[in-house]
Amino acid sequence: MLENFSFRTIVEYLPLFGQGLVTTVWLSAISFVGALLVGIALCAMNLQRGWLFRAPAKAYIDAVRATPLLAQLYFLYFGLPRLGFVLPELVVGILALSLNSGAYIAEIIRAGILSIPRGQVEASVASGMTYTQRMRLVVLPQAFKVTIPPLLGQAIVLVKDSALLSLISVAELTRAGQLLASDRFMPAEGFLTIAAFYLLLYYGLKALAGLSGRWLGTAGART
Amino acid sequence: MMWQQFVSLAGSYPLALRGLGMTVVLSLISLVLGTLLGFGLGILRTGGSRLLSSVIGAWVDLIRGTPFLVQIFLIFFILPEFGIELDAFTAGVIALTNLAACFICEIVAAGIRSVPSGQVEAALASGLSRWQRMRQVVLPQAMRIVLPPLVGQYVLLIKDSSVVSAIGLTDLTRVGWLVVQRVPNGLLVFFLVGVGYFIVCYPLIMLARRLERRMGAAHGEVQL
Amino acid sequence: MTKAGMTQPGLTKTGMIDFRDVNKWFGALNVLRDITLSVEPREVVVVCGPSGSGKSTLIRCINGLETIKDGHLIVDGQRVGDPATNMTQLRTEIGFVFQSFNLYPHKTALENVTLAPIHVRKIPRAEAEQAGRELLAKVGLADKVNAYPAQLSGGQQQRVAIARCLGMRPKIMLFDEPTSALDPEMISEVLDVMVAVAEEGMTMMVVTHEMGFARKVAQRVVFMDAGAIVESGTPDEFFSHPKTDRSRAFLSKILRH
Repeated sequence: MLENFSFRTIVEYLPLFGQGLVTTVWLSAISFVGALLVGIALCAMNLQRGWLFRAPAKAYIDAVRATPLLAQLYFLYFGLPRLGFVLPELVVGILALSLNSGAYIAEIIRAGILSIPRGQVEASVASGMTYTQRMRLVVLPQAFKVTIPPLLGQAIVLVKDSALLSLISVAELTRAGQLLASDRFMPAEGFLTIAAFYLLLYYGLKALAGLSGRWLGTAGART
Repeated sequence: MMWQQFVSLAGSYPLALRGLGMTVVLSLISLVLGTLLGFGLGILRTGGSRLLSSVIGAWVDLIRGTPFLVQIFLIFFILPEFGIELDAFTAGVIALTNLAACFICEIVAAGIRSVPSGQVEAALASGLSRWQRMRQVVLPQAMRIVLPPLVGQYVLLIKDSSVVSAIGLTDLTRVGWLVVQRVPNGLLVFFLVGVGYFIVCYPLIMLARRLERRMGAAHGEVQL
Repeated sequence: MTKAGMTQPGLTKTGMIDFRDVNKWFGALNVLRDITLSVEPREVVVVCGPSGSGKSTLIRCINGLETIKDGHLIVDGQRVGDPATNMTQLRTEIGFVFQSFNLYPHKTALENVTLAPIHVRKIPRAEAEQAGRELLAKVGLADKVNAYPAQLSGGQQQRVAIARCLGMRPKIMLFDEPTSALDPEMISEVLDVMVAVAEEGMTMMVVTHEMGFARKVAQRVVFMDAGAIVESGTPDEFFSHPKTDRSRAFLSKILRH
């Protein structure tokens, strides 16, 4: 049983966990911004009429969705040096997370745009708006509201996925737990502590999603 | 150089097949167990007991709120402290089953809640028992909502099984990791690993999409 | 013009809206069959017929919400479907009122009315808002200027939708079953607005089964069935002396309730 559970050791390692937590937060934040950019670009390509842009975007999205992040991470980690890019593990990790989440975000944005009722688009077409005006004035403002909650869901997934970067020795939260587990043979202390930290992030983001849901729910039709 | 790599890779062929087999077996066992457990939990979650429902809800939140890698480490390294010795495979099955059950529980609960209360009332009025109501009236209607995300969940499960390689189980991802130590061509090795997963996952993704489209047929698509 | 504006194909004079031998298919289904129809400026034409007869498709072709396969369609002197025609520009001259209103849910009534004038017509905001308020007052909704669509009844939403079209100062107004989605007690408030628009001399095509409206303002009723124009005449001719079996059958059905 866990009769030897040592809170003292956890306290001793707290600065390490703190650093790991901070690293996890900022590398997730950067990766999420990167993923948004990748997602918007992919979605824009995917909404084109011609297959020239659509086909590569679709292929990319399918390839990412049908393979595990860990394999993608190793692909970049072991593969990039072969192409002459010797990058720090942290950069490889952020790249992998951005490229992976970007594919999912592209689908979220696309679903948001497609969720706008056809009649809305017809009404704006009938009033003589151009494609850009329609997107800017009618479709995107409504799609924005629909996409915020799933985007926050994707942010939660991304934070959890970032744990895999510990496997290529990025000094983030899970890595801190691994260090405690292996240095002092205290896996319970190490992994339960980081689990608690991840839950902190999870409930934080979840609360944010709830807030945004309520805020967005009232922003459109004030009744 | 290139030729040597190919020969070396070809030599890893049996290993790769074993890895793929391991990934499939691990996923399949967890998928079946997770589905059964998930449906049970989902029905309990929407059943009468408030307490039971919130206990399940809290557990689901704990699992959804932590990385799967951390869950595997917890199971693999901490259960032995309670006197339960596990090999990597069993630890993987437990972790994956638990993960799948939690996600499927929420999917099933959402499906059950989507069935209009009038349906339950009609079933009540015609004298069906609690189990009959669930079996004959609620679940068949809930399945329409449940099926597409359920298949999507299976894809996630197969992909998540790759994380079990972190505790040394020789699945497809682990095979890639082993091979790349000998054949230093990460691009090629993990491209092939990706192909392996793609072959397993892509048909399921297509199935999920098709189910989704069939459900959403009423929704007009924006084309203009 | 004896046959109430029916022009011969090949005649050079064109109306405001001119269909000549227009055909359209959905797959194998011939949804518009050899449509030839001309609508004069300031004319009000009511289109009726059983569901699936192609009447909505007919008016949706006019502003290019549907494309035609065959034949010519000339609107305000411009050929619809011709690559040389700027459809976006042409659409600004054509108001379209939908059965399901299609108001923008994230915009207030006034914003719905001013959105296109400001961004498409490039009218200064203050001026557009002034005009928008006047239009909303004209359709009887002066007090709902800042309401969101979700806060309005169906009849009120449809009146905002009409004001939204009028805000573009169109030459033509098309109505696609504007009262079909409304509760009975709200129908007249919308029809009253439409009568007022007609009396100001707007060129209108209205898909509707509201025969009272047709008698009051329409110069012509066009009866469609299975994608073809079966009959066309003044409201009096059509309602009192329908010429075909199909139109008689149709009238007996809709007049029964």
